[in-house]
Amino acid sequence: MNTQRALYRERFAKAIIYILLIALAISIIVPLFWVFSASIKENSEFYGNPWSLPKGLHWQNYRDAIRKARLGEYFFNSVFVTALSLTLLIAVAVPCAYVLARFNFKGRKIVNLLFMAGLFVNVNYIVVPIFLMLLGWNDIAWEILGRGIFLDNLVVLSVVYASTNLPFTIYLLSNYFRTLSRSFEEAAYIDGASHFKTMLHVMVPMAKPSIITVILFNFLAFWNEYIIALTLMPGPRKTLPVGLVNLNQAQRAAADYGPLYTGLVIVMLPVLILYIMTQKRLTQGMTIGGIKE
Amino acid sequence: MLRKSLSICLLGLLLFAVIGSAVQAQTLKIAGLDGGWGREHWDELARRFEAANPGVTVELTLAQNIADILRPQIIARNYPDIIYLAVGSAGGLTDTLIKEQAILDITDVLDMEVPGEGVKVRDKIVPGFTDTLITNPYGDGKTYLAPLFYSPCGLFYNADLFGPGKYQLPETWDEFFELGNQAQQDGIALFTYPTTGYFDAFFYALLTQLGGPELFNRAMNYDVAAWESPEATRAFEIIGEIAKYTHPNTVAQANVANFTKNQQLILDNQALFIPNGTWLPNEMKDAPRADGFEWGFMALPKQSKDGDSYSYTFFEQMYIPKGARQVDLAKKFIAFMYTDEAAQVIYEKAGAVQPILGASELMADDDPNKLFYTIYDDGAKASMGAFAAAPPVAGVDLASILFGTIDSVVNGDVTVEQWQKDVVNAVAKIRAAIDAQ
Amino acid sequence: MKQKGSKIFVYSCIAPALLLFAVFMIYPTISVFRMSLYEWGGLSARRTFVGLKNFKVLLDDRFFLRSFQNTVLIITLVTIITLSIAIIFAYILIRERIKGENFFRVVFYIPNILSIAVIAAVFSAIYAPDQGLINGLGRLLNPDTWVNIQFLGNPRLVVYSVIGAMVWQAIGYYMVMYMASMGSIPTHLYEAAQIEGANRVRQFVDITLPLIWETVRTTLVFFIISSINISFLLVNVLTGGGPNGASEVFLSYLYRQAYNNASYGYGMAIGVVVFLFSFALAGLVSLVTKRDVVQY
Repeated sequence: MNTQRALYRERFAKAIIYILLIALAISIIVPLFWVFSASIKENSEFYGNPWSLPKGLHWQNYRDAIRKARLGEYFFNSVFVTALSLTLLIAVAVPCAYVLARFNFKGRKIVNLLFMAGLFVNVNYIVVPIFLMLLGWNDIAWEILGRGIFLDNLVVLSVVYASTNLPFTIYLLSNYFRTLSRSFEEAAYIDGASHFKTMLHVMVPMAKPSIITVILFNFLAFWNEYIIALTLMPGPRKTLPVGLVNLNQAQRAAADYGPLYTGLVIVMLPVLILYIMTQKRLTQGMTIGGIKE
Repeated sequence: MLRKSLSICLLGLLLFAVIGSAVQAQTLKIAGLDGGWGREHWDELARRFEAANPGVTVELTLAQNIADILRPQIIARNYPDIIYLAVGSAGGLTDTLIKEQAILDITDVLDMEVPGEGVKVRDKIVPGFTDTLITNPYGDGKTYLAPLFYSPCGLFYNADLFGPGKYQLPETWDEFFELGNQAQQDGIALFTYPTTGYFDAFFYALLTQLGGPELFNRAMNYDVAAWESPEATRAFEIIGEIAKYTHPNTVAQANVANFTKNQQLILDNQALFIPNGTWLPNEMKDAPRADGFEWGFMALPKQSKDGDSYSYTFFEQMYIPKGARQVDLAKKFIAFMYTDEAAQVIYEKAGAVQPILGASELMADDDPNKLFYTIYDDGAKASMGAFAAAPPVAGVDLASILFGTIDSVVNGDVTVEQWQKDVVNAVAKIRAAIDAQ
Repeated sequence: MKQKGSKIFVYSCIAPALLLFAVFMIYPTISVFRMSLYEWGGLSARRTFVGLKNFKVLLDDRFFLRSFQNTVLIITLVTIITLSIAIIFAYILIRERIKGENFFRVVFYIPNILSIAVIAAVFSAIYAPDQGLINGLGRLLNPDTWVNIQFLGNPRLVVYSVIGAMVWQAIGYYMVMYMASMGSIPTHLYEAAQIEGANRVRQFVDITLPLIWETVRTTLVFFIISSINISFLLVNVLTGGGPNGASEVFLSYLYRQAYNNASYGYGMAIGVVVFLFSFALAGLVSLVTKRDVVQY
C-alpha cells in the first residue's frame, strides 16, 4: 500500500520533470525554427502575424543577402579571422595557463591577479584606445614603410581578438590543469623528458577536453564579434557581423526583412554545425573550479 | 610573342600615364548615409560630376552605419571631403562635429555660380533654408551645412476615413480632441507615433504655431524664459493631452526594431493620425492595408480657427569636415547639387526633392507625393531649424529629455509639469555651459 | 616543482601571453582611466583636463543612477533565476534516468550559441503586443478579457522582459557546467545516502551542493561579467534603452554619453566605474561564498 503510493508519487514527479524539460526544449526549438522559416518568407509576409508559416520557399532572399550585402566575401574574412585568432590564442594561452597552474615562481601572484582583473575589462570601452594606439603605430609605419599596416589588417584584428580573450581562456585552462594529477608529469620527468616535452606530449593531450571547450567558447566570441571589427577595419574589407548591419532595417526606408533573417541564418549556421559536432566533448571540458585529486 | 604584347602593354601604360598627368587627377571622397532614398541617385550624380569635370574621380562610401564607420576614420584624421549625414542622425556624428567646431565654413559656396546656370547658389536655394540654426549652427550668420532633400512633416491619416458622412478633419486642437473622443467610441485611437524621435518636427511646429517664430528661435538658443513661457507650457500640455489619446501599443513598439508596427496602426485603421514625413508612403509600400485606404496628409491643427498653421520642414545636410583635402572640389560638388540637372536626377532616382526654386515643377501631376508638397500652398507656413550648437554637457542629453520622456508621459509615469521642469533644467545647464565659454 | 632550467621554461611560457595582454588590454585600460579625467568630444584635438569632475557629475546624474540600478537588478535576478533552474535541471539530468537526456542537453545549450541579433528578433516576436506569442496565447485562453501586456512598453516591466531573454539564453550554458561538475561525483556517495533513507532533496543539499560549490562560486563571477555585457548587447537591439531610458544599462548609457552626447571623457568615467564595480562585486561575492572545500 505504502510502496504503491510511493510508486505513484514517483511517477507523478517524473511526469512533472518531463513536462518541464519538454517545455524548455520547445521554447528553444520553436524560435530556432521560426528564424529559419522567416529567412524564406517574402517581404509582404513580414507584416501581419510574425508566427505564421511561410507561404512558399523564397530562396531569393539568400541570393539577395549574398549578392547585395556581399555576405559571401565577408564569410571568408570571418573564417580567416576566426581560425587565425583561435590558433594564436591557443598557442599563447596554453603554455601560460599550464605554467600558472603548475609552477611556483616569482611574480606568479601578480600575474594571476592581472589576468583576473583582465576578466573585468570590457572590450566595448577599450576599443577606442586600442584603435588610437594602432593609429600611432600606423604613423610610424608610414615613416618607415610608406604605408600603414596596422589598420584594415585581418591579421592585426586576429591578434587583438586573441589578446582580449586571453584572461578568460587562461582562467579556464589553468583551472583545468589544476585538476590533473601530478603523477603523470612526475613519471615523464623520471623518463628524462624536458619541461617543454612534458607539457607538449603529456599535459596538453590530457587537457584536450578543456582545450576543445575553450575553442568552442572563443569561436562563438570571435565569430559574432562586432565592435572591434568595425573599428579596426574601416576599409571595405569586413567580417560577417559587420557586413550584416547593411541588411538591417533603416528608418525612412522600405524594410527588406527577408534578407535580414537570411543573414542571421548565414551567421548562425556554421556555429550550429560546429556545436553539434563538438557537443559531446563540451561537457567533459567544462570542469571549472572543481578539485579532483 | 609574349615580349611583343608585353611591350605594347607597357607602351599603353606609358601613354595612359602621360595623358593622365595632363589632366590633373583628383579624387573627391564623399561619405554618407545609405538611408531611405537609396543610393542610385548618388551613383548617377557622381557619374555626371565626373563627366563634367575631367580628371575627377568621385569615391562614394554609402552605408547605413556610416557614423560608426566614419568615427574612427575622423579620429585618424582621415577625412572624407564631403559628409552627407543629417543633424540628429543615429550615432550623433554630425552633432558631435558641430559641437567640436570641426566643420568648414561654406558661406562662400552660396556666392558661387550654380554650374552652367548663371545664377548664384544663394539665389537658387529656396529662401529660408540657409538661415536656419541647422545650416548656421553657431548663429553667426555663416553657413556650415548645405541643405538637401526637404520634406514637409505633419500628420498622416487614412483619407478614406474622412469626408461627408465620415469623420471631419480637425482644424483646431479642440476639434482634434473632440474627434479623439468620437473615434474612441468606434474603437480607434486618435494618435500614434513611430518613435519619440519623430516629435522633433511635431514639437518645433507646435511651438512656432503657439509662440511664433521669435519664441521658437529663442527656445532653440537655450533661452530658459522661452521654455517657461505660457506658450511653451501650452505646447507641453497639448502633447500631454495627446498622450491620453495614444494607441496603447505605441510605446512598446516605439523603438528602432518595431517602429513600423506603429505606422502599420494607421494602415489598419487602429489609429487616426501619425506624425511623419513624406517618405512614409514609400516606407510602407509593401505593407497590407485596410480596404479603400488612401494616404492623407495635413499640417498640425491650430490653436484657433484664424490662427497660423505651421508644418515643420525636415531636410538633410551635407558638409565639408575641417581637414578635408579637396576643399575646392568639394565646394564645386555642393554647388553642383543645386543644378536643375542634379535635382532632376535626385527626383527621378530617389523621389527626393531639392530645396531649390522650381523643384516642385519636376513632379508629375499624378505623383501622389505632389499632394504632400502642396501643403505650403494650402496656407501652412514653413517652420525650420533645430537647437543651436552648444558645448557638450556631460549627462545632459537634451534630445532624450525633451522627446524621449514622451514615452513616459504616455505611460503616465511622468507628469507634464515634471517633464517641462526637466527640460527647463537641462536647458539651463546648457545655457550655463554656453555662458561659461 | 623545482628543477633545473625551469626558470627559463616558465618565463618563456608566460612572456608571449603577458606581452599581448599588456599591449592590448592593460595599456588601453590605463588610457581609459586617463581619458576619464578629460572633457573631450571624442573627435577633434580639443581636449581639456578636468580632474575628477566627470566622476562628480556622475554622482548626481539620475540617468546614470537608473542604469546602475537596472544593471544591479539584472545581475542579481539573472544570477538567482538562471543558477537555480540550471542546477535543478542539471541534477535531474544527471541523477534521474531521463529518456533523451542527450537530446535535452544538446538543445538546452543552443540559445547560448545564437548571436544576440537572433535572440532579439526572437524575443521581439514573443513580446509583441497584438501578435506576440505570449499575448496571443493569453488572448486564446481569455478572448474577452485579455488586455495586452506591454512587455517592452511598460517601464516597470521592460527590465524583467530583458531578464527573461537573458535567462533563456544562459540556462543551457550553466547547466552544462554544473552537469560536468556533478558528473564527477562518485555514485557510491548517493547510494550510501539512499541506504540511510535520504530523499532526493536531502541528497542534493548534503552531497551535490557541497561538492559542486567551487564550480558555483566560479560561475558567480561569470554571471557578473556576462550579465553586464549581454544586457548591453541585448538592450541595444531589443529596446534601444527605452521606453525613455527605462531599460538603460551601464554600457548602453556609456555609449549614449560618449557618442550621442559628445561627452567621450564622461563615457570613459562610466567605464572606470563599471570596471571597478564589477571587480569589487566579484571579490565580495567570492569572499562571502568562501567555504572549506569539501572533498571526496
